[in-house]
Amino acid sequence: MPVRVALENTTTPSHVSGANSRRNSFQSCSLLSVGQAFSGTQNVSSLQKDEAWRVNVRIQGCDLEHGYLCGTMEALNVPMADTPVVTFWEGEIVDTKNYTFFTGKWEAAPEDDIRHWTKFESFGPLLGQVELDGGKSADLSNYPYIFMRWKEQYFVNVGTDCGLTIAGFYYVCFSCNDGSISGFYYDPNSSPFQKLELKATNDGRSGFSFSSYELQ
Amino acid sequence: MPSSRPSSDLILHRLSSSDYDIKLKAIREVKNQIIGNRTKKLSYIKLGAVPAVADALAKANADSDFGSNLIVQSAAVLGSFVCGVDQGVRAVLDAGAFPNLVRLLSAVDEKEVWERGFQAVLSSPYLYEYGSVLPYHITPEIVGDPLVPNRVEYVWSKGIPLLLDVASIKMGVPAATVIPFAFVNMNKGFSPFGVGYASLVCECGAVWSYTFLLEGDVYGETMLVPFSILENGILDLPSMRICRSFGCFLCSVVVDAAARSLRMIYQSKLAPKFDFYKEENMDFLLSLLRSENENLTGLGAGIVIHSCETSDEQNILCHAGSLEKLISGLDGSISQRDASLESLATILKNNPEAVSKFVELQSERALRSVIELTKDKYPRTRLLACLCLICIKNSSSCYLQDIGIKTKLIYILLELLDDSGQVGEEASFAFSSLVAGKEDLQKLAFEANAIDKFYNHLQNCALHPKRLEGIFLALADLCSKLECCRSKFMSLQVLNLLINALTHDEANVRTAACICLKSVSRSIKSLSAGYFTNERIVIPLVRLLSDLCTSVQVAALGAISNIVVDFTPDKSTIIQCGGIKELVQLTKSMDASLRLNAVWSLRNMVFLADKMCKEAIFMELSVSAVASLICDSEPSVQEQALALVRNLVDGCMDCVEFAFAEDGIILDAVGRQLQKSSKIEIAIQGMYVLSNIASGNEFHKEAIMQLLFPQTENGSHSFLSQYLQSTDSSLRTSAAWVIVNLTVPASPGAFGRIVKLRNFGIVSQIKRMVNDSCMDVKLQARLALGQIISFGDS
Amino acid sequence: MSLFWIVIRQLAEIEAMAASKKVITREEWERKLNNVNIRKEDMNKLVMNFLVTEGFVEAAEKFRKESGTEPDIDLATITDRMAVKKAVQSGNVEDAIEKVNDLNPEILDTNPQLFFHLQQQRLIELIRNGKVEEALEFAQEELAPRGEENQSFLEELERTVALLAFEDVSNCPVGELLDISQRLKTASEVNAAILTSQSHEKDPKLPSLLKMLIWAQNQLDEKAAFPRINDLSTAALEDPA
Repeated sequence: MPVRVALENTTTPSHVSGANSRRNSFQSCSLLSVGQAFSGTQNVSSLQKDEAWRVNVRIQGCDLEHGYLCGTMEALNVPMADTPVVTFWEGEIVDTKNYTFFTGKWEAAPEDDIRHWTKFESFGPLLGQVELDGGKSADLSNYPYIFMRWKEQYFVNVGTDCGLTIAGFYYVCFSCNDGSISGFYYDPNSSPFQKLELKATNDGRSGFSFSSYELQ
Repeated sequence: MPSSRPSSDLILHRLSSSDYDIKLKAIREVKNQIIGNRTKKLSYIKLGAVPAVADALAKANADSDFGSNLIVQSAAVLGSFVCGVDQGVRAVLDAGAFPNLVRLLSAVDEKEVWERGFQAVLSSPYLYEYGSVLPYHITPEIVGDPLVPNRVEYVWSKGIPLLLDVASIKMGVPAATVIPFAFVNMNKGFSPFGVGYASLVCECGAVWSYTFLLEGDVYGETMLVPFSILENGILDLPSMRICRSFGCFLCSVVVDAAARSLRMIYQSKLAPKFDFYKEENMDFLLSLLRSENENLTGLGAGIVIHSCETSDEQNILCHAGSLEKLISGLDGSISQRDASLESLATILKNNPEAVSKFVELQSERALRSVIELTKDKYPRTRLLACLCLICIKNSSSCYLQDIGIKTKLIYILLELLDDSGQVGEEASFAFSSLVAGKEDLQKLAFEANAIDKFYNHLQNCALHPKRLEGIFLALADLCSKLECCRSKFMSLQVLNLLINALTHDEANVRTAACICLKSVSRSIKSLSAGYFTNERIVIPLVRLLSDLCTSVQVAALGAISNIVVDFTPDKSTIIQCGGIKELVQLTKSMDASLRLNAVWSLRNMVFLADKMCKEAIFMELSVSAVASLICDSEPSVQEQALALVRNLVDGCMDCVEFAFAEDGIILDAVGRQLQKSSKIEIAIQGMYVLSNIASGNEFHKEAIMQLLFPQTENGSHSFLSQYLQSTDSSLRTSAAWVIVNLTVPASPGAFGRIVKLRNFGIVSQIKRMVNDSCMDVKLQARLALGQIISFGDS
Repeated sequence: MSLFWIVIRQLAEIEAMAASKKVITREEWERKLNNVNIRKEDMNKLVMNFLVTEGFVEAAEKFRKESGTEPDIDLATITDRMAVKKAVQSGNVEDAIEKVNDLNPEILDTNPQLFFHLQQQRLIELIRNGKVEEALEFAQEELAPRGEENQSFLEELERTVALLAFEDVSNCPVGELLDISQRLKTASEVNAAILTSQSHEKDPKLPSLLKMLIWAQNQLDEKAAFPRINDLSTAALEDPA
């Protein structure tokens, strides 16, 4: 007897929006949205010499509900490479819902976390709360700074033998006021506290321009 | 098509014969030729056999032995034509057989029953062929007499020897009756109308031949009773009993045959829709469900499965008590259980009220029965039980939420995939309905290695298209929300099999493959790594844009709209494959969903694209086309068109010029749309177009001012003002950015613009927004205000 | 200890267990067996179930009288099924088909594989009786369409039609199709389909019990040496190795 199964098959589209989601209660900032570009430097000074690479960052994906961010990072004038080196990174947004101030992986102990976060001035007011309960009860939805961790996942245009490592990650602080980013690279096997300083760029425009995509 | 042999024509002729014998024989012949033989069914349908048989059914009279036989055979033939053959269903319905079959199900009253039997017996040809020869009425006194028949030596019907050698004579019954007995099965299969013969033997060796009729129900004990009409023409009591039971028998046989055929018809989508709103229909349906007869309850369930669609209809069935009847079927035979499961699922689907009623019945016993049936030994029963549970779970979030049952359902469905028949095909569709849209279930399925299992099945090359379709749709649902699933998919290289499926012969498979690709390409990580922008994928996808089947086109567009988000500036692959031309062509389609998805794809394609790529698209589209898309009849198309322009004017400064091409008709269209104060999403995109343009040079900023505050309308309510006050924070944000960009201090005309903004009350509005509840709005308002104040306070 | 050492130790333990399998003697075994009680009614039921499922009507009837065990299927319904089975076993496939259709017209309509096998048997019978021309026509008219309707039958179809190609059918590679065992196979398939349509179990319980016995013995074998039953038909205990 033929089996009649009368069920529809609709795969529900979930919009992964490149624009800020309208229905969210999470902190959002136009300047930290998809398509936005930042440029600046990473200070890679060691005991031997002073060095800084020029760095460009572009935000590619943003899912505030899951505290997720991703994009590319391009380092220019890297000594061992003939071309700029591009990496793809994924970010965790510290929203105390999806992620807290404590990393809990990547060989970063809570002491390392506190040590790095406190290097950001804007973290000062939150320190007490974080030491008490990890910052779980902090209300970050109206705080004009966004804290993140960025972890590079792979090299886009070079091989892994390019002489660079992506084993560590960045502690990042983004200022919603002016779109500036500062960060510190953490990797037990690299020089500590390499500083990342970026500013929002705008393609030579007079003001800011925003584009977006929407995945089906 | 096999050639029609001469005998087929002859059969047709005989089907319409007025001689019952010939007609009956012909019908039986057709029956035995078509059962199981799809090709023969089709050729007989073409020959026009169906109306002839339907006609025979209509004319046959259930009151006679012959008539009943004819009905049974005709009904069986019609039922077979209908079985799995759509043309058969159409032919049977067109021939008007449906109402006749239904009529046969109607209950007859007592008097009619025995009259029917009486007529049938009287008209039976066998009755007069062999005379009843019985020398004695056997009474208790004469038992033991060697001359008195005391055992049945041989009992048969139509020449098949049945049982031998029985035994004793039953005592204690009124003298007029003789009751030698034998356990005889006069099954309707071989002797439909219960006429048989016996040889009675005495101790002395004499043999008497004897005709008898059936009494009692078909499979039970049979008694041989002489049929006699008393001299004055009145039937004696025992004979009346025979007539009655014979009548019952005839009725049941006819009812069975009619019910079977109707059940077959209701398995097809072409069956007529059952009207649950009519009271007499509901009475009929409930009588079917109440019946002891499996064919009737099966028909009732079949009607529910076929026709119950809306929640109103589901509620009617619930309130009439059908749930209880169907639940009792869960303890029945295999086919009753399966029918009950399927019809329960139909009633419970998307109906929380019905679900709670069901679960609360007999304090959850019914629910537990269904859960038990998921472990049944028959795969089909397991599948139907799972489907029933899925319906319950999806309708109402209170039940079946514990992780144990969820895991169990996943494992059972994954295991059912191994079935090589239809159950295996349907299992993946059931899996889809279980996990679609549910992150928690997708996670559990991922942990159960579902993706590996589906992949293993895909590797079997000789897959039926339906099975392929189901697997791809299941994978699409599985990968719809979770990155871990998509990673697994990519790492297993399922993509290669998917690419092959893009060129499959069946449209449904192509569609399913595209939907799966769309799902998997939601991974920004994979998009960024460029996994989807090689020719192997892009070329067949672009080809699908001109597929003959619209659903394939829409699905391909869905996939393309994702894969063009590759974060490269040049989109070389898709341009080289002629993608732009195809996409632009589809933006002109009459079909709204094609237009929408085509514009959507172009919008995504233009995101972060370089000037050359934008120019290529812009030229293919044409300025007037863009303007008309902005004013499209569909709001969703308007939204995507505006978003497309927003992306076009982003990037390097030159790109802003796109909005001004051909006297700025695009900008005019944007302004018109914003004026209409339509949907919020449209307004947001529109405001960002303005904002992006306003981040350009002086000329651009002035153009925006002109648009916001047209000179002709004095003191008119500007939409800017309205949007600044919107309840939607994103809209307020976008409006704020317009002002930020218009008042950038470094640009020469900023002061003039600020004055104008002040005159139109915008500055005061901005001041009120510096403590907006949304942080983004607050910051941009403060930024704008800071810029405004730097020119001197007001 | 590091992980590596724990695994080695576990392996060693397993081996030690294997080497020192427990040995059970025949006497001990038989003694333990004797302490297990099996009810006569259960055994009777098993026998009845076997007779009835396989369709041995007369034996079932006799057994019923002599042991008082009630069959779980009405013996009356067995007769139809047996008539069909007998028809197939004696090569009267057309007759069998008619009987099945009289019994339940849905069976062959919903069992394409069974129907195909019946048609296949018809062809085999025609070939067996030397009716080559009729056989050819039948293959063309009746069997070929089955292959068209359903791809999975094509292979078997080709095998059957191959019979027609050989002069000396008894010597050809597909000659086993002409064997009586083929008839029995088809007959058994029909029997099962009828039983299922009547919502009865199509397999008797006895074989499953025997399978369980063999499986259980294999499981126990890993842990102990004991008297095994290796010949199911004699059920004789063989001493442990």
